[in-house]
Amino acid sequence: MTADSAPLPIAAGVRARLAQVHPIVPWLLVLLALLPLPLVLPNAYTQYVVNVMAINVILAVGLNIVKGFAGQVTVGHIALMAIGAYASAVLSTKLGLPFWAAMPAAMLVAAAAGAMVGIPSLRLEGAYLALATLGLAESVRIFISGTEWLGAAIGFEGIPPPYLGPWALDSHYAYYYVAMPLALLGLYFSFSILRSDIGRAFKSIREDALAAAASGVNVPKYKVIAFVISALYAGCAGSLQAHMAPGFLHPNNYTITEMITLLLMVVFGGIGHIWGGVIGAILVTIIDDLTRDYYEYRMMMFGAVIVLVVIFMPRGLGGIIDDFLVRRRFNVLRGARQTPRTDVHAA
Amino acid sequence: MIDYAIDLCIIGLSVGMVYALVALGISLIFSGLDIVHFAHGEIYMIGAFIGLMLFQKLALPYVPTLLLAVILTGFVGVFIERVFYRRLTRAGGGYTVAGMGMVIVGFGMSIVLQNVAFLIWGPKPFPFPVPFGRPIELGNLALPMSYVWIVVTALTLMAALHLVLRKTMIGLAIRAVAHNKDIAYLSGVNVPLMISTIFGIACALGAAAGVLIAPINYVQVQMGVGILIKAFAAAVVGGFGSLPGAVLGGLLVGVVESLGAGFISGTYKDIYAFVLLIVVLMVKPSGILGVAAKVKA
Repeated sequence: MTADSAPLPIAAGVRARLAQVHPIVPWLLVLLALLPLPLVLPNAYTQYVVNVMAINVILAVGLNIVKGFAGQVTVGHIALMAIGAYASAVLSTKLGLPFWAAMPAAMLVAAAAGAMVGIPSLRLEGAYLALATLGLAESVRIFISGTEWLGAAIGFEGIPPPYLGPWALDSHYAYYYVAMPLALLGLYFSFSILRSDIGRAFKSIREDALAAAASGVNVPKYKVIAFVISALYAGCAGSLQAHMAPGFLHPNNYTITEMITLLLMVVFGGIGHIWGGVIGAILVTIIDDLTRDYYEYRMMMFGAVIVLVVIFMPRGLGGIIDDFLVRRRFNVLRGARQTPRTDVHAA
Repeated sequence: MIDYAIDLCIIGLSVGMVYALVALGISLIFSGLDIVHFAHGEIYMIGAFIGLMLFQKLALPYVPTLLLAVILTGFVGVFIERVFYRRLTRAGGGYTVAGMGMVIVGFGMSIVLQNVAFLIWGPKPFPFPVPFGRPIELGNLALPMSYVWIVVTALTLMAALHLVLRKTMIGLAIRAVAHNKDIAYLSGVNVPLMISTIFGIACALGAAAGVLIAPINYVQVQMGVGILIKAFAAAVVGGFGSLPGAVLGGLLVGVVESLGAGFISGTYKDIYAFVLLIVVLMVKPSGILGVAAKVKA
């Protein structure tokens, strides 16, 4: 309906040519195009913001899977990120695992937590699920800030950066080459998931769980799968956040404020629209950074934008983009069919 | 040991009364409008601040402060409902996509209200000193008067709500709206007005809870975040949409939390309510007094 439209508004000829090559080729081209980005960025701080952007894209894409595709109202996604981040931190500092082992392990831990969030979703719907996930998120944060060996309220410090052979990827520039490919990979997988039978099952559950069950979709199974997949994304984002340059985690990074920011990315971009979510994540990260000095006004603005977007623009940016594409395609078709009458409906 | 437990139970019951008031509001909105109001914690916070302003700036005595704060916050609630929520509820509430929109809007509204309050009153916690007099001696327990006030006021408000819902025409109309909006409309009930009334009453109850807890805790901008989850836990434990259930759930949450903080660990005090919530959701999602069929109010 919304999400599975054409990837990017590229010219029809190029699209026809791309259809002949393997679907991963355009992604590799994008990867190549994004590789020299650190060269044009003015300073390390901008690079840091770009890395945060990549992490937020992973997070928003993951949230979109459970919220947009499968239609499950979860507001505790930030807790899964916290679990991933702290799991990765503990594994790499206490057990001495390298980043490349700690990150998949942290993703698995987050996925287990995601399954535990998903199991209540089998019995709970809508608002109840929102409550349960909100409660879980707050509990995780309170647990972290009350537990000594997780750094309690002081924070968890000394998380090592990833090593590539002898090189420590401890600068923001080097970290970009970890975060950006992972973000693209996540994006690629989310399209694959959406196109697969799992994605179709998610969408059928979103539209009508009862009808989906009647058509042979194993609703409980796919609900849990949706939560697990989105938790994998959140765990990956959390792990990336943990190992980024200062190597420092604080429970206050996972409050309701952060959840609102994350929610804004998905809502503003359009729930259930992958590219919308990506654009939302990038825009919100930029705005978040530009308005850093106006902390109190910023959260008020974010909240107000969420309220107004849901009321007046329920499909978000993605909806606007879709409408634009559909209208353009329609106009092209009409123009091709009715060439003699262009004077009447020229616009 | 037993004394200590009784002490904890008494504290838990009186704090539970406050949870019950907030939970009543949430349950009332749910039963009337089929939506979950995620900004109710902030209504409670704003009620407490309005009470504080009346108490300090206008130097009113406690009881008029309570009443005025309750009425003013009720109107704040009606305003929010009319201006923002009406557009969504008109499209149909419930669990569907409109329900998800409502959850998100409530979330956004809560952050907006919190930051508006932050701009007005700042991050500092304010004391709310009410001279209640000496604690009551019960055997070897000393019961502070503020707890007695909470219990008495909360019980009065609950009784008043019960009487309004059961004995007056407005109460009948509210219950009709909660049961079926279309049929209520056909029977001549002014449904939009009743929805506003429900919202106003719910917000007034939240404000009462805020003003009641203020003399024990401080009044601060963050106070709405914690109570939201506890009140939700209370509402769900008792059975969502059931008003006696909300009261029972509130008391249960208060006692469990108080006993947990006293006997297990005070650090994780805020988690016990959630554990109770999860257990109830797993075992009996409809809650203690909830019924599987959709009979409400």
